[in-house]
Amino acid sequence: MNFLRKIFAESGKLVEKGKPLSWAYPVWEAADTIFFSTNKQTSNGPHIRDNMDIKRTMFFVVIALIPCYIFGAYNIGYLNSLALDIERSLLANTLFGLTYVLPILIITFIAGAICELTFAIIRKHEVNEGFLVSCALIPLTMPPDVPLWQVFMGTSFGIIIGKEIFGGVGTNVFNPALTARAFMYFAFPTKISGDKVWAVGPDGYSGATALAIPANPVEYDTASNLFAASTQFDFSLMNMFLGLIPGSIGETNKLLIIGGALFLIYCGIASWRIIASSIIGLVCTAFLFNLLSGFSTNAMLTITPLQHLLIGSFLFGTVFMATEPVTSSHTNTGRWIYGFLIGVLTVIIRSINPAYPEGVMLAILIMNMFAPLIDYYVIQSNIKMRLARNV
Amino acid sequence: MQKIKIKKGHDINISGLASREFTTASNPKFVSISPQDFNYVKPKMIVRENDKVSMGDALFFDKNNPDVKWPAIASGVISKIVYGERRAVQEIIIAVDSEIEENTSSVGNLGSSPKAVIKEFLTEKNMWPFITQRPFNKVVNPQDEPKCIIVSLADSSPLANDLSFSLNDKKDDIISALSVLKKLTDGHLYVAVRGNNFSYLSDYDFINLLQIEGPHPSGNVGVILNKVNPINQNEVVWTVQGSHLPILGRLFSKGEYDFSLNINVAGPAVTPSYYKSRMGVQFDCFSKSLKLDKVRVISGNVLTGKKVEIDRFLGFYHSTFSVIEESHERPFIGWLHPGGKSKYSVFNAYFGSNNNSYDFTTLQNGSNRAFVPVDAWEKVFPMDIYINSLARSIEANDVDEMEQLGIYECDEEDVALCSFVCPSKSDVGSIIRTGLDTIYFDK
Repeated sequence: MNFLRKIFAESGKLVEKGKPLSWAYPVWEAADTIFFSTNKQTSNGPHIRDNMDIKRTMFFVVIALIPCYIFGAYNIGYLNSLALDIERSLLANTLFGLTYVLPILIITFIAGAICELTFAIIRKHEVNEGFLVSCALIPLTMPPDVPLWQVFMGTSFGIIIGKEIFGGVGTNVFNPALTARAFMYFAFPTKISGDKVWAVGPDGYSGATALAIPANPVEYDTASNLFAASTQFDFSLMNMFLGLIPGSIGETNKLLIIGGALFLIYCGIASWRIIASSIIGLVCTAFLFNLLSGFSTNAMLTITPLQHLLIGSFLFGTVFMATEPVTSSHTNTGRWIYGFLIGVLTVIIRSINPAYPEGVMLAILIMNMFAPLIDYYVIQSNIKMRLARNV
Repeated sequence: MQKIKIKKGHDINISGLASREFTTASNPKFVSISPQDFNYVKPKMIVRENDKVSMGDALFFDKNNPDVKWPAIASGVISKIVYGERRAVQEIIIAVDSEIEENTSSVGNLGSSPKAVIKEFLTEKNMWPFITQRPFNKVVNPQDEPKCIIVSLADSSPLANDLSFSLNDKKDDIISALSVLKKLTDGHLYVAVRGNNFSYLSDYDFINLLQIEGPHPSGNVGVILNKVNPINQNEVVWTVQGSHLPILGRLFSKGEYDFSLNINVAGPAVTPSYYKSRMGVQFDCFSKSLKLDKVRVISGNVLTGKKVEIDRFLGFYHSTFSVIEESHERPFIGWLHPGGKSKYSVFNAYFGSNNNSYDFTTLQNGSNRAFVPVDAWEKVFPMDIYINSLARSIEANDVDEMEQLGIYECDEEDVALCSFVCPSKSDVGSIIRTGLDTIYFDK
């Protein structure tokens, strides 16, 4: 320990102000405070401070994601064994999956760190631990067989365009992880469009994801019947809840996502208002579409609210992406509206849109864009109240 | 009596609360008054070093407002005038000499005198500095007409001086102070109390008694005003420190200066207690109570107080010395720490509840980062103001928007808890101060 401390103390002298390496100070500070908590003192103002800092806040989000990683790895192995029709132990399945997950994770972090550190040095801002969360989120939104170079491209795009060009964490407009995914979605549609099955199988292995089934039915029927008729995967509600279906690495197991949500809400990090209102928005819209489904031959309209909740990555998106504090609404009233509209838009994009089977990514990005506008109107009402009083 | 319940906020569970009894301390040899304690004051000295002064004699006045003069808070000799950068007066130190004859004068019945007479009296007695105003938290301009006057006897800040104890035997002086203050405004005289403290005040019709409930900052005058009578643009509200009421009351009723003050010394690094002492007292008098070597002495409370050296003095508006440990600890991977007695957080981020009292130190507990709005400020900020947007408008130097968002209602002390909880370790108080300064110097 003392040895490590000595290394940091010595290297710290190199990056002091006025020294040739002073440009590297943000990088040194970030590394130094990872190992040893900062001994920065309060000056005036509050002389005592809460023990929560950004490092721990961001670390907690990463903790909430770890179960999704483990299950994601297992699921890759499980679906692979299903495709090959062989028996494999739980551990073997997980290890098999990890051989897919870990490379994606490592590439994401390398790309993310390069971008974040470069910008921290050039723009002279501190390294914000927020990039760790972005990098931890990106692999979970990827199909397991995504080419690694695409991951590198996507992550760099997400961090730079989604965040750094706006000034870094705290001033970004779009969620960087979703920006990365959206970029890949449109740039490399053959790998990540979301309608073909996302499982690691033998060559030529294919099938449809849950959302693609009612989107492109052979013959019109209700979504429930179409799911029941699917023979390749078990699309029962329970199976979709437990996540043993193909999908992006981290989004399939809803139980773990709900667990992560409860953890983040309990810690006071994620906004329960956004999660609750987006679910309300989704359920209301889905219900409305169910009522209208008799007038149309679009099988997507027959998906029940519960199925909407369990299919695709809505829950993952709303818990881990929509609640991102910087890009969501900043006012509590605004959060209700913002979340509700994410739910509404998700169902609209999913159901009455022939091109994209999944809508949550676009819904959140669209609402990221409108969040400042929502806040503007919420704040205007406060201003009007104050003006009315001032007569 | 009006009840006011404040839900948002937080009572920090810091150790070192003084029990309700007095300890005797050595008599202060020196007291001081520092022009730095008053916002926007340009002091011009009236006395010089080695001058003899009696209690109440004018020491200096404000160049911007020559009617406002500062009284000597003890009889004695001006032992030192400390100058800072560009010869700004930092501190005037008086060597206390009880032999010097004290100023006394007869007073008529001020309680039934008209406003002008009372104002004249305050000018003559150099007592205006005891009355401050919102917005800007500065000494009042005697020509102003306040829309109301508010006094908080319910200080909710951590380790605060419990006025229901320290003003226990001052009933007559408090009443006489309040009855005169009421004459200074055509509006209400609000007095905020907690629970059944000061219940005798409810017998007086001229007092608008407010019963405050809820966590800090519920006892702050800014927060209470936001609930009962918000400050609008171009309005001023006057306020007096609860602990100063007996000082004013005694002068109003008997014509005597008496700057004695019951103060408390509290915090994790001292043996906490109350002391019968006086305004501007030197911390040296209480240094026996120190439990540690490396300490930070704070004049005022741990949230908004001012760091002072160990041989320095109590601020003009303060009645508490808070003492905490100066820590330089650097725990290994501290951000992974599971929790325990040293980790206090309003987030549920550590094992172990916040029920124990915690030994806070001067550690900031994290590095400064860009602001991430995780709703932390809003959790502890009870006013009907979008504090996050207000802070942003101040950073953007947009005066119109600051006014629209209610900057006049805010003061540093009202947002101190926001800085306490902020995971990005922002100093919201100094942001608010910057905004107020911008507006003040604009006009």
